[in-house]
Amino acid sequence: MEIKLASVDSVIIYFSDTISKKTSTEVKSAYKLLKSLDDKSLIEIVPSYTSILITYDIFKYSFEDIKVFLNRLLENLKIDEESASKIINVDVYYAEEVGLDLQRVATKANISIDEVIKIHSSKVYDVFAIGFLPGFAYMASVDKSIVTPRLESPRKKIPKGSVAIADTQTAIYPQNSPGGWNILGKTTFELFDKSLESLSPLTIESRIKFNPISKEEFLKQGGSLEF
Amino acid sequence: MSFEVIKAGIFTTLQDRGRFSFTHLGVTNSGVMDEYSSLAAHKLLGNSLDTNILEITFANVELKASVNTSVCVTGASCEFFINDELKNCWQVYSIKKDDIVKIGTIKDGQRVYLGVKDGFDIPKEFGSNSTTIKESLGGISGTQIKNGNVLSYKSTFSNTTQRWHQKHIPFYGKELTLRVVLSYQEDSFSIDEKEKFFSSEYIVTRDFNRMACKLSGEKIVSSLDGIISEAITFGSIQIPKDGQPIVLLKERQTIGGYPKIGTVLSIDCFKLSQMKIGSTIRFQEIDINTAQEKLRDFYSTFV
Repeated sequence: MEIKLASVDSVIIYFSDTISKKTSTEVKSAYKLLKSLDDKSLIEIVPSYTSILITYDIFKYSFEDIKVFLNRLLENLKIDEESASKIINVDVYYAEEVGLDLQRVATKANISIDEVIKIHSSKVYDVFAIGFLPGFAYMASVDKSIVTPRLESPRKKIPKGSVAIADTQTAIYPQNSPGGWNILGKTTFELFDKSLESLSPLTIESRIKFNPISKEEFLKQGGSLEF
Repeated sequence: MSFEVIKAGIFTTLQDRGRFSFTHLGVTNSGVMDEYSSLAAHKLLGNSLDTNILEITFANVELKASVNTSVCVTGASCEFFINDELKNCWQVYSIKKDDIVKIGTIKDGQRVYLGVKDGFDIPKEFGSNSTTIKESLGGISGTQIKNGNVLSYKSTFSNTTQRWHQKHIPFYGKELTLRVVLSYQEDSFSIDEKEKFFSSEYIVTRDFNRMACKLSGEKIVSSLDGIISEAITFGSIQIPKDGQPIVLLKERQTIGGYPKIGTVLSIDCFKLSQMKIGSTIRFQEIDINTAQEKLRDFYSTFV
């Protein structure tokens, strides 16, 4: 663990320099501990793959103080090996009419589209980071048989609800956005919902499983085929 | 009990100090670009520092009052009229029913702040009035102020004509030195690259908005192509592959994967947000302890 200066009033804690489930577990455990302090002088606590950024009240802590405080706090960090959070099921309509890159992924993996769908929907994914767009959760790890790099040139518009993969990661686009991920299908699952007090049903601790549904079911749920 | 927006201007938004504690979900902080000017307006009006305010980026705004209040205009120097009578910026004026407040041409700077006594009575979204259009959060219906909007406020009456001390009213001009603490991936920049960075002049490009300010000038090279995405703080200086620095501001993306050489002191980002396209920017290193003192001094003025 290393604490570095990020700005005049923030520091970043690095837990490792490689992405792994072990590091992610450490990040999540530390994040949980920091949140549980309910310390108003820790203004922002933002976890990512291997790090946590903390913005603090400089009237309470100097840079040296915050380093000492965090080092002491995290020195004997207890790692929550098994996530207690329950699995969130996300219904996905996987088909070429909404999953524009299904064929590309299948061809690259030298398997059928049905197999791509089966492989993508049979794993439980962990959230590693949330950002880029509000509610955009970077989930991993995609089975290595369907790992596919980002598109060479990003699309100008990926529709809201698109379920996509890039390298070993998978995600759902929470809103229309430019993007270079390979689209496999579409969901009506809302990732950024202003009617929720928590704003998003996902947190960094969430675990997600995709559940293939038929076109009829997707349309019944209010899904749109539009691009 | 409100202002009726007769002319909203091209880009006027409601802001406050920002939306905190949702960053872990990818929600940006947003908030006023220039805290110095907005906090000065609040102090003159006797408002609490988290009161909301209008941020006006292009001139030609016209508001009609329905009841008494006090207003204060700060930030970029501009033509400020009450009923066609030219008034001073950085000074409080009382307003009566049917008065027309007008912001004309902006002369120096980029962003004008218009505050009222006790702020506008508009419900907060997720702890803040700050408008972030790409997230449809804050303001009125998550977007910029439009003609016909009604900005309500409580009726107040006061005779105060408080004015900001002349010597503290900024002149923005076309040149600015930004103080920088080395941070994040500074180790991935060689001594030569750092020296180049701190001795070169950069120009503010057109890619300058509430999200970030892209500069152009001497190319800076990092030994890293990219990094594992991590959270980005206000003022961070990203160096993308083209070597042209980007200073990340209030509506920055919450996480990103470009190496960062350092972070501009937040109080200098407030000045940067007033610079016009084509202005000259220099960077100067500052150590963290001095930087924290400067920041404490800054906020102590407003308590």
